[in-house]
Amino acid sequence: MQNLFNAKNIIVQGITGAHGSFQTKAMLQAGTNVVAGTTPGKAGQSVESVPVYDSIKDIQADMNVDISVIFVPARFAKGAILEAIAAEVPLIVCITEGIPIHDMLDVNKSLKGSKSTLLGPNSPGALLPGVNKLGIIPASMSLAGSVAIVSRSGTLTYEAMAGLTSKGVGQKYVIGIGGDMIHGIGYKECLELFQNDPDVSKIIMIGEIGGKEEIEAADYIKSSITKPIFTYIAGHHAPEGVQLGHAGAILGSDQESARNKTKILAGAGAVTTKSITSLIEAVSK
Amino acid sequence: MKLLEYEAKAILSQSGIPVPTSTLIRSVSDDVTLPTVLKSQVPIGGRGKAGGIKIVESKSELTEAIKQLLSLDIKGFTPGSLLAEEKLSIKKELYLSLLIDRASAGISLVAHKNGGVEVEDNHNFASWPLGDTPDFDALGQSLADYYELPGQTFSLQDLIQNLYACMVKNDATLIEINPLVVTSNDTLVAGDCKMNLDDSAAFRHDWQFEDTPVEANFVTINPNGNVATIANGAGLAMATVDAVFEAGLSPANFLDIGGGANTQTLLAAFNRIVEYPNLKAIIINIFAGITRADEVARAIVAAKEQITHLPPLFIRLAGTNYDEAAQILNENNVVIMPSLESCLDAAKETV
Repeated sequence: MQNLFNAKNIIVQGITGAHGSFQTKAMLQAGTNVVAGTTPGKAGQSVESVPVYDSIKDIQADMNVDISVIFVPARFAKGAILEAIAAEVPLIVCITEGIPIHDMLDVNKSLKGSKSTLLGPNSPGALLPGVNKLGIIPASMSLAGSVAIVSRSGTLTYEAMAGLTSKGVGQKYVIGIGGDMIHGIGYKECLELFQNDPDVSKIIMIGEIGGKEEIEAADYIKSSITKPIFTYIAGHHAPEGVQLGHAGAILGSDQESARNKTKILAGAGAVTTKSITSLIEAVSK
Repeated sequence: MKLLEYEAKAILSQSGIPVPTSTLIRSVSDDVTLPTVLKSQVPIGGRGKAGGIKIVESKSELTEAIKQLLSLDIKGFTPGSLLAEEKLSIKKELYLSLLIDRASAGISLVAHKNGGVEVEDNHNFASWPLGDTPDFDALGQSLADYYELPGQTFSLQDLIQNLYACMVKNDATLIEINPLVVTSNDTLVAGDCKMNLDDSAAFRHDWQFEDTPVEANFVTINPNGNVATIANGAGLAMATVDAVFEAGLSPANFLDIGGGANTQTLLAAFNRIVEYPNLKAIIINIFAGITRADEVARAIVAAKEQITHLPPLFIRLAGTNYDEAAQILNENNVVIMPSLESCLDAAKETV
């Protein structure tokens, strides 16, 4: 994957909503270059001095759009993502939680062969400390540096990042791929980005029960990752067959358990840990 | 949400998929055509093995059978109704389902030659990803070849096409027909059906089903556990449970208060937690993102004021609006701990 996360012209879809306006302010405070936003029917308004347009097309008449961060409510999110794909926005970051699965199946069809890459939905976004805050990861808890984090869980992403910061260990990338069953880029694309970026010295991968993405990531780690990689899989004590929180976290078979995923990651050459605290300690050594 | 069999079959029938003729009965006085198969309507599998299905041939057995089934508990569920179905003349039983496949980010068709209850012990399922534009003719042909039922090719093509339309139209995430019955007249009938609908899509449907939505955010792990957990985000909530366990304590529950939780939802959670009989401590582990820490702080203060017998709270808070939260808790003499580890150490002293 080409590095799309450094780009400078960033817009917010759903900028006038409660989350959109609150988070736009936080993104600006973190030094992120939010150049415009959209909310249909609210063209001409502004949020934190950022101009509001009706559509991405209208923004593109005035300026280039490199990245769109989406805070649109779930029922309208499919339309917002499709709009960004149609406008050929290179990186789309969807924060919205609770998008219907069939909507995401449709989005997925449109993504194939498009010029866009999707991060999310139900993701906290990506934070490149000192460079870009694309979403809701709290920048005040980060520190610029060389560790790269990828996780399916928003809060565990924050936890790992804040833990490293408190030990004086900085981060280059903090990326949440989102907790839904159907989503955009996954572990593999992020790991590839981290492996190919010479500024990244260590990699953290945080997973959960459910699905097989961590197992597929383990194959990639074995074949292609040469940098030190540290992992933690949440849910060692999860009951089988019960959904825990977001839709992606359901333990369907023993193969999808935290224990099995940890074992496979260890076999692929990753350092495995049994809690966030021990993960942070291992990376900080 | 998981539908009951009769609800799922009503949807199948509306989508042109054959189901047995049936009556829903809720008491012994309801009228039933005999012979019939009485089936307990519970939202859980393994019903047949648990005695939840009875074939009734004569009037004399009927009242007793209905009474017995209506009071039979199946894995913690007592049925509110029974489905009385025509007794099918069965030539063969197959398995067929449509489900969301995470890996291909699409819908897959899954089949097995042996339907019926034994399917849970079978592992060699055949599956076909439907792709972006499903070719139902080809899929029906493959399925007929696989089942070794060449005479059913057209029926299977129709069935899959209807099933797919049903799945999309109803925002279903799983439709499982098991068994798919081939009757002695060589017709295909859905003998039983499990259907899950996507709760996130409720806004665009007028869903009025009996079953309450599956509650994913609050899960009891051990009702006799001594430490309850409250966290935000599924990952952090799971990690908190893991950490409690690793500390040698016994976690009672998993609770993800979710993004944007407010005082009211948090108070409701506290009220459920204090029901655990052996509870000695509550660990609160919040890393505020969309959830704001000051909201959590207000809920904690409200819980302390309103809930008697609240066990000691061990609180770790960080993230959005932390300073405001710290001030609120400080003013109310509630201590914030610097880390989850310090919470666990302190909880160990109490337990």
